Amino acid sequence: MSQVASETATGPVQPGPAGEEVITGKTPWQLFWGRFRQDKPAFVGLAFIVLLIILALLAPVISRDVIHHGPNELFRNMQDDFGLPKGPNSKFFFGADKASRDLLVRILYGARTSLIVALLATGFAVTVGVTLGIIAGYFGGVIDTVIARTIDIILALPLLLFAIGIVAACSTSKEGCLGGIIKPGLPVVIFVIGLFSWPYIARIVRGNTLSIREKEFIDASRSLGAGNARIMLREVLPNLVAPIIVYTTLIIPNNIVFEAALSFLGLGVPQTTPSWGRMLAEAAPIFDFAWWMMLFPGLFLFMTTLAFNLVGDGLRDALDPRTGR
Amino acid sequence: MRKRRLPLVALVLAVALFAAACGGSDNDNDEGTSGTGEGQTGGTLRVETDGFGWSNAFDPTGEYWGVAWSYYRNLLTRTLVTYRNTVGAPGNEVVPDLATDLGQVSDDGKTYTFTLKDGIKFGPPVSREITSKDIEYAFRRIATKSLVAQYAAYYTGTIEGLEVGAMPDHISGIETPDDKTIVFHLTKDTPDFLFRLAMPAAGPIPEEVGKCFTKPGEYGRYLISSGPYMIEGSKDLDISSCDSMKPLEGFNPDDHLYVERNPDYDPATDSKEDRANYFDEMTIDLNTNPKDIWNKIQAGELDAYTGSGTPPPDILKRYSTDSDLKDNLKVSPEDRTWYLTMNLGVAPFDDIHVRKAANLVMDKDSLRRAWGGEIAGDIATHLEPPSMTGGTPTAEEYDPYPSDNFAGDVDAAKEEMKQSKYDTDHDGMCDAPECKGVLTINRNVPPWTDMEPIVQQSLAKIGIEVDIREQTPDAAYTTIQTPAKNIPLGMNPGWGKDYSDPDTFVGFLFDGRNIAATGNYNYSLVGLTADKAKEVNFSPASGVNLGDIPSVDSDIDKCLDTAGDARNECWIALDKHLSEDVVPWVPYLWANVVTIISDAVTSWDYDQASGTTAWSKLAVDPSLQK
Repeated sequence: MSQVASETATGPVQPGPAGEEVITGKTPWQLFWGRFRQDKPAFVGLAFIVLLIILALLAPVISRDVIHHGPNELFRNMQDDFGLPKGPNSKFFFGADKASRDLLVRILYGARTSLIVALLATGFAVTVGVTLGIIAGYFGGVIDTVIARTIDIILALPLLLFAIGIVAACSTSKEGCLGGIIKPGLPVVIFVIGLFSWPYIARIVRGNTLSIREKEFIDASRSLGAGNARIMLREVLPNLVAPIIVYTTLIIPNNIVFEAALSFLGLGVPQTTPSWGRMLAEAAPIFDFAWWMMLFPGLFLFMTTLAFNLVGDGLRDALDPRTGR
Repeated sequence: MRKRRLPLVALVLAVALFAAACGGSDNDNDEGTSGTGEGQTGGTLRVETDGFGWSNAFDPTGEYWGVAWSYYRNLLTRTLVTYRNTVGAPGNEVVPDLATDLGQVSDDGKTYTFTLKDGIKFGPPVSREITSKDIEYAFRRIATKSLVAQYAAYYTGTIEGLEVGAMPDHISGIETPDDKTIVFHLTKDTPDFLFRLAMPAAGPIPEEVGKCFTKPGEYGRYLISSGPYMIEGSKDLDISSCDSMKPLEGFNPDDHLYVERNPDYDPATDSKEDRANYFDEMTIDLNTNPKDIWNKIQAGELDAYTGSGTPPPDILKRYSTDSDLKDNLKVSPEDRTWYLTMNLGVAPFDDIHVRKAANLVMDKDSLRRAWGGEIAGDIATHLEPPSMTGGTPTAEEYDPYPSDNFAGDVDAAKEEMKQSKYDTDHDGMCDAPECKGVLTINRNVPPWTDMEPIVQQSLAKIGIEVDIREQTPDAAYTTIQTPAKNIPLGMNPGWGKDYSDPDTFVGFLFDGRNIAATGNYNYSLVGLTADKAKEVNFSPASGVNLGDIPSVDSDIDKCLDTAGDARNECWIALDKHLSEDVVPWVPYLWANVVTIISDAVTSWDYDQASGTTAWSKLAVDPSLQK
């Protein structure tokens, strides 16, 4: 990685050619920022994500005050007598969907769904994954075996089939399943996605913890009388921040696509909640006629996934633990 | 669609000569060649399906898939009486087939005597004359529990001594005094008995082959023909013993069904008008990609589609607007109603005012547009398609919940809602908690998914908030067929006749005695009693009084006892009573069956009785096949 190599060459720990300049120590944050801002693709990705978040937050305002179309409003004039939708025009920039709703408005609302699902499911996965990963790596022994094998089992499950089963089982009654803990609709989708993404984080965290716990500063801390909880939280966790951030960023686009896949299969969020995956599913039977129904949601899904991946790659390069600190 | 009936033998000869002389014909430009009665003999009709919907693997004793019935009736199985394999009311008419006439009926209507025609044989490898014993054997199979005759209820309790259990040696109500005569003794006067005899399960089966297959569906792969065609490979079937029989190569329920001419079929024993038998061979292949099937038909690489699907809306639009393609678009009425079902035992639909308001407010015009617009069918205004009762009353003649262009009448709906106990402040909007989050079952495929915003927004106008759950079509049916699940509203169901007597429609669907714990078709629970509720594990929510649920059981019995015009009048009156005083449904569509064919199909007709293409009327011109 060229930028990393050139950047390390001018780093503060090694005297550069301009040795006479005053050398000030850089904080880890400065180090990271210095590397990250040189990564143009990651920056573009970040800009797109910020824009998407703003659009998602403002979706109700934009649809009500700028476009004047609600997300579930039906427009008879955007449908012909055969029930086919009409394409983009000056009032409907992205055209209408099969049910004659404004596609642009639904895409904006769909960004909310994608982001909410991605953030909550990823948050769930990271919380569970980091907790279990540290515990497994730190304590080792039986605890490690149990957690590590659980991870292996979950990773070995046929993910989509399992997801379909859980969503179907939780959607036939009003209460949901597990005694009403998992409600049908958005909550069950978030639960399913979180359930299948925490093992990835846990495995990374466990591996890193295994090596960190052997370091001298851990022994030092223990000899000073620190308990297990304190060591895990104060000594191990801060050293895991870099991999956690990187993998979190890389899991987000996975989860966005996962939600789209579930919705595409008709197992995702309810129909009144716009979702890009569901829009793609609705476009599938008639996309050779209504190309806009496929193009626009597909484009947004693609760009969002790409943006998160670019940012994730940029973060990994900038935070790569192998470059040391 | 108008049918031209021409002297067929002459025509077939002329076409054959013309084809032989020119090595092909270009008669596809003749106006109306497709969809009318003439066609050329020979060739292979190439058909694909996106799903074989077998309910019993093509064993006629149990097979209940309407499309499969068209294969039996048109191609493979003759019955004592049958239909004319054509469109409209004539297609629902019963005519003699194996029998010489429609039977001698005793004065009390309880004894039917039929004489079999001479010279009708089973196809290879049986190739012997069909006798009355072969028909009796079919009924013995219906009475055999292990074979799961799915519509045995049409015969049990009707034919004397016919009960489902171990295979009987003899059924007391069926006599076969000689090989040509069969007599049915009925427990009561049954005016629609001929319709029941025209169902495929009542077709002859040779016992020497049938006896080898004792599990449900097994016989489907060894089906012995009595019709103009037979499954390919029949000639090679070794019936010397049960062990020597290998499944026919022409039929694999998961892959294909190929039929060819039955050499033992004598056209002189049949009506050429009702079974024209133009093509030499028909191949049905499974192709799980429906889009590919429609594209192949458009490109002429395939001749027709079979199954339960409809071409996508963009193809329908092109075929109905392009004058060159119009002749290849086939739109035929199906005797079927699509509807929303409301559960009389679950709030808020236990209140008739809510059910009436839902009917008044529903935008049926938009619902039909989700199905493709006018081409999809007529908007339904009451329960039964008018074709079931002599073409009347149509939507124009009778609409208890009228609105401009069927788009819903919000004001009238609110007036109705004001009278409901769930509208506590009487402002026309349902405000009780029962109206929030009303669990609604739907299919997860179009056009049902496209209907969701329409249903949701229509009902929201009277304060009902639906919570729509999507399931696969099968699972959605299973859910609403289980009364214990207390589903208030179902968007998924539709009902088509078994035969054109309302006994198979309102008479079957709303009979409170038929309510069952699973596989229940009376989704609305019309006629539910406290005892029945206990039997099917249905526990109503508090505030729902089972005593308020109306019953139409006695009305149904009354109609079943009448015949002729009076019977029709009786069923129409029951339909009106149900529509206005019971209100179990929001009916929205009397559907059409829509399909497209290739240019190579030079003759086409619709089988009204089976609700699909009349295969025996199709002809292909091989020179036009690509």
